Amino acid sequence: MRCLAPGRAARLLSLHFLPVSDLSPISVPTAAEAALVERLRARDESAMTEFYDRYSAALYGVIQRIVPDEDDAADVLQEALVKIWHSMTGYDASRGRLFTWVVNISRNLAIDKIRSRQHRVGTRTDSLDDSLTAQRQAAPDSFRPDHVGLREITEKLIPEQRQVIDLLYFGGFTQSEAAEELNLPLGTVKTRARTALKVLAKLIR
Amino acid sequence: MENYQSYIESGQLEAYAFGELDAAARAEVEAVAARSPEVRAELDELLAGLGVYAQAHAIAPPAALRERVLGRVLAEIRADQSARAPSAAPVEPVAAPEAAPVVPPPTPTMRVSASNPQNAPTIAAASAAGPYAGQAQRSGWAIAASVALLLSLVGNVLFYNRWQQASSALVAVQSSQDRLAQTTQVMERRLSGSEQQLRVLRSPDFRPVLLAGTKTHPEARARVLYDPAAHRVFLDVARLPALPAGHQYQLWAIVAGKPVDAGMLTAATTTGTGLQQMKDIGSAQAFAMTIEPTGGSLNPTMSTMTVIGNT
Repeated sequence: MRCLAPGRAARLLSLHFLPVSDLSPISVPTAAEAALVERLRARDESAMTEFYDRYSAALYGVIQRIVPDEDDAADVLQEALVKIWHSMTGYDASRGRLFTWVVNISRNLAIDKIRSRQHRVGTRTDSLDDSLTAQRQAAPDSFRPDHVGLREITEKLIPEQRQVIDLLYFGGFTQSEAAEELNLPLGTVKTRARTALKVLAKLIR
Repeated sequence: MENYQSYIESGQLEAYAFGELDAAARAEVEAVAARSPEVRAELDELLAGLGVYAQAHAIAPPAALRERVLGRVLAEIRADQSARAPSAAPVEPVAAPEAAPVVPPPTPTMRVSASNPQNAPTIAAASAAGPYAGQAQRSGWAIAASVALLLSLVGNVLFYNRWQQASSALVAVQSSQDRLAQTTQVMERRLSGSEQQLRVLRSPDFRPVLLAGTKTHPEARARVLYDPAAHRVFLDVARLPALPAGHQYQLWAIVAGKPVDAGMLTAATTTGTGLQQMKDIGSAQAFAMTIEPTGGSLNPTMSTMTVIGNT
């Protein structure tokens, strides 16, 4: 059951009063999220600008892992934002967080892009990738206590787990395809994926 | 009775989280989750974990991208809004992964919304491979879109002019309101001054002391309102001759036979505009006024005495 603050109250609750850098989109409070959704639905352009400032890092990060070329990644980001804008009526808050929904839209568009080129992402858990990503990340983890960064991910997940979820998430492989790619039994892939996600879920603060 | 544990271990929930499933399969997972709190909890946990993973990879896009991407996005959504592109028959089948959310709305809504975004951006991006059946239909839409855009531009110009007019009218109103506020302040000050004088005049504590003109100034007349208990002295001028420049009237109180300075008269008081509070005087037997150089003297110039009266 959705609970939305009407018009003016929604604007008061809006994320506008929260400094953008302070909050990872994943930990935005639901009331503020609902207010942003409301404004986006109302075709409030300033809401799109705010959405960009809050969510673009998360979306761009995911897109860029899938589509490494910066220009292509920018294009996908643009497509994603437009698609999100137009699909707002289809978003149902009772079925999940805004963050989950928009990340998935972006991820799917990115996967489309690489598939359309018949380009398949191989195993991508080289540490080089991580250090590059870590360098370009906006702020060190220590300044954002609610943000779980790659460093922590690397500590908490074993490489085999990362390998699997990278294939599944950034590679767009199905579990069967991943099993084939990694030359592993399907059951192992399923177990590793599940364990990894549960470990990650525990990191939420 | 379904065995939820085996369902949880089946990998179907992970497939849902990683976006492997088609619409029908997704709906099925959601149905099971709705039936079983354990499945719901497990699914939520997986989604949460995946969210952490996604967020961990966040990279702020290069600053230059903001203007470029956001600018284009805003331009595109504005163009769509003014063109009012309707969702015609969705010609392009939703074959490509629908990019529907992992937790999507009910299937019918999802299909409609999935097809809507397909149409709108492609109308805006005129260069995209036309999704429409025929060339004629396409240019028909283009013409309609252009006309609508033109109309909206005209509308914009008209509204802009109106807005400008309203804006300058608003500025005018605001400045006249400011002037009004200032006038009100002035009036309030004057009113409180008058109220104070009225209090003094009506108070039984104040004794009037009539100051009559001297031989040299027979027409002069003034009145002191004297409160011996509180030592307050107010002066009310009925008539005093105007003074040449460089001179000012000074009030004296005769205390124990000696003249004590009671203050200088302001120009307003000299013309009889309202009461003036003078210096506090302990116990006066009489009050008198002399003409002194501007600023006053330590001792009265007796020859210039203008009015005098006993308490």
